[in-house]
Amino acid sequence: MNRSDLDTWSERLTRRLAGRLSRRSALARLGALLVAAPAFPLLPVQRARAADAAAGTDFSRAAQTHDDTACNYWRYCGIDGNLCSCCGGSVHTCPPGSQPSPTSWIGSCINPDDSRAYLIAYRDCCGANECNKCSCLNTDHAMPIYRPQANNHIIWCFGTQSFEYHCSMAVLVGLAE
Amino acid sequence: MKRILQEACAAAGTAALSVLLAAGLSAPAWAGGHGRGGKGPPVLASETAGVTPFTGLTAHELTYSGMDGVTSGGVRIIDGDTARTVATVYSSQYANFAWAPDGRTLYISETYWTLGNRGKREDVLSIYGGPTLRNEGEIALPGRLISDPKTHTFALSPDGHYAYNYSFQPAPAVTVIDLRTRKVLTSVEVPGCGLVFPFGTRGFASLCADGSMAVADVNAQGKYVVHRTKRFFDVLNDPVMDESVADEHSGLALFITYDGWVHPVALADRPRFEKPWSIEAAAGMSPATSHVGTITWRPGGQVPFAYERSRHRLFVLMHEGPPWSFEKPGTQIWVLDVRTHRLLHRWEVPEHAYLLAVTQDAHPLLFALSYRWLWIMNGISGAVRRATQIVEPGLVGVKGE
Repeated sequence: MNRSDLDTWSERLTRRLAGRLSRRSALARLGALLVAAPAFPLLPVQRARAADAAAGTDFSRAAQTHDDTACNYWRYCGIDGNLCSCCGGSVHTCPPGSQPSPTSWIGSCINPDDSRAYLIAYRDCCGANECNKCSCLNTDHAMPIYRPQANNHIIWCFGTQSFEYHCSMAVLVGLAE
Repeated sequence: MKRILQEACAAAGTAALSVLLAAGLSAPAWAGGHGRGGKGPPVLASETAGVTPFTGLTAHELTYSGMDGVTSGGVRIIDGDTARTVATVYSSQYANFAWAPDGRTLYISETYWTLGNRGKREDVLSIYGGPTLRNEGEIALPGRLISDPKTHTFALSPDGHYAYNYSFQPAPAVTVIDLRTRKVLTSVEVPGCGLVFPFGTRGFASLCADGSMAVADVNAQGKYVVHRTKRFFDVLNDPVMDESVADEHSGLALFITYDGWVHPVALADRPRFEKPWSIEAAAGMSPATSHVGTITWRPGGQVPFAYERSRHRLFVLMHEGPPWSFEKPGTQIWVLDVRTHRLLHRWEVPEHAYLLAVTQDAHPLLFALSYRWLWIMNGISGAVRRATQIVEPGLVGVKGE
């Protein structure tokens, strides 16, 4: 799906700024934080456009909505790692002993029940040893690591006391429309 | 009961002998019963414990790292001619590694915390070498990217003078380390870009989030200039993969997309972008597309490509799958000539494979790795010669890449 003119314009502006400013610049620091902040709307909206609810994806066509301990649960279309739902937590809570990172990457998945695309924040729980249960690797709209805001290989433990990866949640952010 | 008593006596005798040998004393006469009177084999010689010498990585040896916290890191060497383990060097989880060009010094980019999972963070470049591959110290790094292992987050310059370490905390930068002085030379900021592909004496390229490339020229004093190229791929619809291959000796990079398009780039201060070609078209098929429901042959895996410099051959793990299946393991290895864009072979992989590596010598071995098995194949015929069990692999490397 083509992006809107507004998206294109805003991305150009962001990149022009990023290309000219040094890391020490306050603006660049702010930008770096915003890239990793799931609450920031621009990038999630852009990501959401990649999920075409009408066409679906090969994952969404086979997804289900009742078992969040299975890799084909609809929210897990881009998850890479251990499901927190299998480790003592849930799709939006970390298991005891671990802590949620305030940062994440944002994907968009289609709910088969209403055929609508939702924004999903793939947040890692950190600080406990790797759970090593229900390991899933789904890659809908996952981007390479040089496009970090949409990459599921980065250990998203920025902002916590530990980079020890434990498990991954799929927190529903809202409609991607 | 009697038999048990005899065994207990024998065990006690063995223990006494062990104590004597450990103390450096000669074995008593009663210990060498078979050698008395010149009958039977001679008495076995006493031994001194030590470390097997390490004379450098050989052309047929594979180096691979562990995947993550479950495998708990480690950099391991396996001899491709025997499938036996040669050595293991300690590393943190999520480490990356590179060998010096002579194969005698191993550099590991890794991260530790003073209290294991917390405390003060230390990013270091650890150095191993000498006759027993011992630790020779560390160079403190200003940062690292911590992620599932990615080949192009750490690399040496072709002459082994410099190391390049990609950092994302979350501002992206490449730290340049002078390996002769063992000091950090500088950190090059690459806003909006990531990974590192060295070329020439002190240059490197990074891929950028808009489909362009950042090219850095660093001088001996650490001053640098970075410029951006044109966009050469469609990042939103068909991005090039992190694990694309680059031959730093010739400067040829082959950036390969999810749909199997190969973008050849001659890396230089002014990179030369050549016309992309399709892996599927090289096999006489229609190029893969991103349309939902399109099941076709696609590249995929964890390290799905390997390049053999002397024969200009590209090895690709291929699978049949839908769009966005770029991390599915390969069931076949396709061998392509990158000069003629022709498919040379399609070889079956036992079960499936996530990683590939090919040796760079005259009699190449091809290594195909699943999460549990290493298959060692003849690099000319594709015949599987040996197999051995491994820990879940993260990255692979061979001498002279």
